[in-house]
Amino acid sequence: MEALPLKNRLRALRSERGWSQGDLAERLDVSRQTVNAIETEKYDPSLPLAFKIAKLFRARIEDIFEPE
Amino acid sequence: MTATSQPIGSSLFRYFVFSIALALVGNLGARMLLEANIGPSWIAIAIAVAAIVPLTLTAYRFRRLLSELDELLQKVVLEGFATALVVFLPLAALYVNLRSAGVYVPRLDPPDILMTPALLVLASLLLAWRRYR
Repeated sequence: MEALPLKNRLRALRSERGWSQGDLAERLDVSRQTVNAIETEKYDPSLPLAFKIAKLFRARIEDIFEPE
Repeated sequence: MTATSQPIGSSLFRYFVFSIALALVGNLGARMLLEANIGPSWIAIAIAVAAIVPLTLTAYRFRRLLSELDELLQKVVLEGFATALVVFLPLAALYVNLRSAGVYVPRLDPPDILMTPALLVLASLLLAWRRYR
């Protein structure tokens, strides 16, 4: 089953706050590589991580992630 | 879950290589004892079994490390192992079948048997890692 490709605004949201990938990774309790892979859209986060990201940026999941 | 930004399993892989080396040293020691006919055979058996202990501990440590990795790294490790298994099993089956069919295939020694999966796992992990970089 082919997964629905997602695009996201994570890089833009992070840049708005002046955070590095490492800063964001620390806030999300994941590795910097994971943040990078999500930003470059090579990896789609799990639902719990997507919720965590949404909560951190005070946004809804669909405001950050949307299907291509 | 604790995030880690260390290269995946780099220290663990060193442990694996070291443990495999110890297992091979044990294999060599057991064979030498038997061939030289030194002491009772249970000593060779004890050495052969004892040499596996570090590998077992490393495998246990790997299980613990896996649960500490974040979700992407867990996926990379899972994909790496799956790829290694997918390559290794048909190759191993082909080897034993060709050998059973009387085709000449090179004889595999303990180092080949132990190192092949380890190297396959390493290569597969690196490939999986590159996919998400």
